[in-house]
Amino acid sequence: MERFAKRGVALVAAGLAGTLAIAGCSGQSLEGGSDKAADGQITLKVNFWGDMGLDKLKAAYEKDHPNVKIVLNSGEYNAQHEDLQKKLVAGSGAPDISAVDEGFIVQFRGQSDKFVNLLDKGAASYEPKYLPWKWQQSMSADKKQIGLGTDVGGLAMCYRTDLFKAAGLPTDRESVSKLWPTWDDFIATGKKYVAATDKKFVDSGTNMFNPVLAQQPQGFYDESEALQMDVGPKVAFDVSMKAIEAGLSANLASFQPNWDQGFKKDQFATLACPAWMLGHIQDTAPEQKGKWDIAAIPGGGGNWGGSWWTIPSQGKNTDEAYKFVEWMVQPAQQIEVFKTVGNLPSQPALYKDAAVLDYKKEFMSNAPTGQIFAATAEGLKPQYLGKKNGPTRVAVENVITRVQQGSLKPEAAWPEAVKAAQKAATS
Amino acid sequence: MAVSLTRSAPPAPAAEPAQRRAPEPESKQRNWLHRFDNKRVPYLLFSPFFLLFAVFGLFPIVFNGIVALRNWRLDDPTLTGWAGLANFERLIHDEDFWNALVNTFGIFILATVPQLLIALMLANLLNRKLRATSWWRVGVLLPYVTPVAASTLVFAVVFSRDNGMANWLLSLVGFGSQSDPLDWRAYKWSSWIAIATMVNWKWIGYNALLYLSAMQSIPKDVYEAAAVDGAGPWRQLWRITVPMIQPVLIFTVVLSTIGGLQLFNEPMLFEENPAAASGGSNGQWQTIAQLIYKVGWKDLNLGYAAAMSWALFLIILIVAALNALVTNRLGGGRR
Repeated sequence: MERFAKRGVALVAAGLAGTLAIAGCSGQSLEGGSDKAADGQITLKVNFWGDMGLDKLKAAYEKDHPNVKIVLNSGEYNAQHEDLQKKLVAGSGAPDISAVDEGFIVQFRGQSDKFVNLLDKGAASYEPKYLPWKWQQSMSADKKQIGLGTDVGGLAMCYRTDLFKAAGLPTDRESVSKLWPTWDDFIATGKKYVAATDKKFVDSGTNMFNPVLAQQPQGFYDESEALQMDVGPKVAFDVSMKAIEAGLSANLASFQPNWDQGFKKDQFATLACPAWMLGHIQDTAPEQKGKWDIAAIPGGGGNWGGSWWTIPSQGKNTDEAYKFVEWMVQPAQQIEVFKTVGNLPSQPALYKDAAVLDYKKEFMSNAPTGQIFAATAEGLKPQYLGKKNGPTRVAVENVITRVQQGSLKPEAAWPEAVKAAQKAATS
Repeated sequence: MAVSLTRSAPPAPAAEPAQRRAPEPESKQRNWLHRFDNKRVPYLLFSPFFLLFAVFGLFPIVFNGIVALRNWRLDDPTLTGWAGLANFERLIHDEDFWNALVNTFGIFILATVPQLLIALMLANLLNRKLRATSWWRVGVLLPYVTPVAASTLVFAVVFSRDNGMANWLLSLVGFGSQSDPLDWRAYKWSSWIAIATMVNWKWIGYNALLYLSAMQSIPKDVYEAAAVDGAGPWRQLWRITVPMIQPVLIFTVVLSTIGGLQLFNEPMLFEENPAAASGGSNGQWQTIAQLIYKVGWKDLNLGYAAAMSWALFLIILIVAALNALVTNRLGGGRR
């Protein structure tokens, strides 16, 4: 008995010790996670979404800086932003460098203490190089700069020349641009296309709503963060309703598997195209090379999307991170990204650079993407995007989806959209 | 010897304690160890579970309760401090919460009732003498082994609007057509059926095996006696098998209640954009667990999400207790 008892005590002790050891270990690895190996190697983790054209840049930078290793981590758009928010609050686990999009920058610049103030690292010298509004958008109220711009949206309309030809529509970009000076003309053209081919014209009503909203002087919120539905959003909503009622929409949710399938199955012939969309088209449907072209968007310019590189202050290698960010926004690298994926730089000097102006995108039927997007970007007056812009947009998009699914009548949709937006604004 | 014994006997009352005290050091220690061994060691042996439960189970529940009484918004660090019952008050007036509650119960009933009934039938079949018994028994467990994420992604394709297998099957028997396919995600009823199908598929085999193992312990002569008395297989199932496996029945009912009310993976991955957590364009199939995730991590309102979790915790307790009670009554109230 006595022996057994001793063994029992020993067992319990061992068990407890084991438990503690497990807890201890995990605790250590959480905190320890040292990015610096013994030989001075530094690992920089970079989070973004989609394709930002970083593969070549990473290789080049690592070659010149043998002590730096760059880990690229591409995820889903919303998930990456939400993940960053969680890690900022938790105080650990954030990447060394994180891309932040226009739709989320307001939320993050309100937490500027959680990011490295890039002005402290000497970023002030870049201010004159950027589009003034781009520089301001990532600036916090207490004058801290949390991000350096990577790209801006700009708007154009991408279309499928082969499908247009089959429908008896013109195919060269000048004539196509003349087809639709206004959104009503665009919808009229769509009706002709649907009648001729019995296929859908646009991917979804939400991708009518978003570009039209981007063209309005005011979006969902005014600068006092009050929801303003009856000006910009109403105009955009009406256009999307008209398009759905005319039977133009294939009702495919953007950036989802069915949408990607839709590219391959020719389920739509036009797609509102901010510059960054080009990369997505060519990654999704590489076999459609030469079948796409770019025309002007109805209703003129507007901005949709565009990102910044930010450095969360919890990182251990913020100096090295800043060096890499600084290198990425240099003209040579910005042009390289522009050429690989199509993202339009946010430094206007580059719009006059021959490398951008003369560039023709082979994938898009040799369209001069530099000229097209630079023209729309320079004339931009960007909207103020409120803190709740992201959720509000999702809420209104859901109402548009309900109309497309047939579970909501178009004429009853607007009050629902207002209700959904108000709910999102106060959530 | 005898003399000395009788001589020493008279002063016994006084001497005895002294005599007993003589070997005391060793015996008392033994005694202590013995008692320690009997009384304390079992507690020590299972204490690691309770320590871990306290750290990873109890503490979060209590902490969650505290958070539920506070303002805590991730996107607005200035909004903090005690909120009292404000979060719970908001819950009562929140349409989304009631919608999610209805969805959760709807899917729960669509998933649990057929699931347990079919599992019972299946177990009854498996309990007979069959060829390749182990093959069948292992076979029904296969869906359970499949990762939820993998199977749900397959089901999401099956229930897709364009070119989905479910729509193809329906068109074979004359419902719908290729040109006007049913949009499974557009309506409450269709999305509930789709999600309940995923849940049923995964858990029927698991429950069937639990029932089967209980059925195997029923003595054969009970059935023989019943057969002699003229009871058919159906009657035997309901009058003998079901009452005799009642403890396992209650166990599965409680377990599927907890699982059903916490349903998260299937509705989450059924969505075209899983990160949205909105459960369809109008929250057609948004479950409470999904809503908690959305409120906490998308609206970044942790206080309110904690209040919802606590409400869900209470609801599960009540429903599981009710279910156990009803199952108990149905089975004849033996326990």
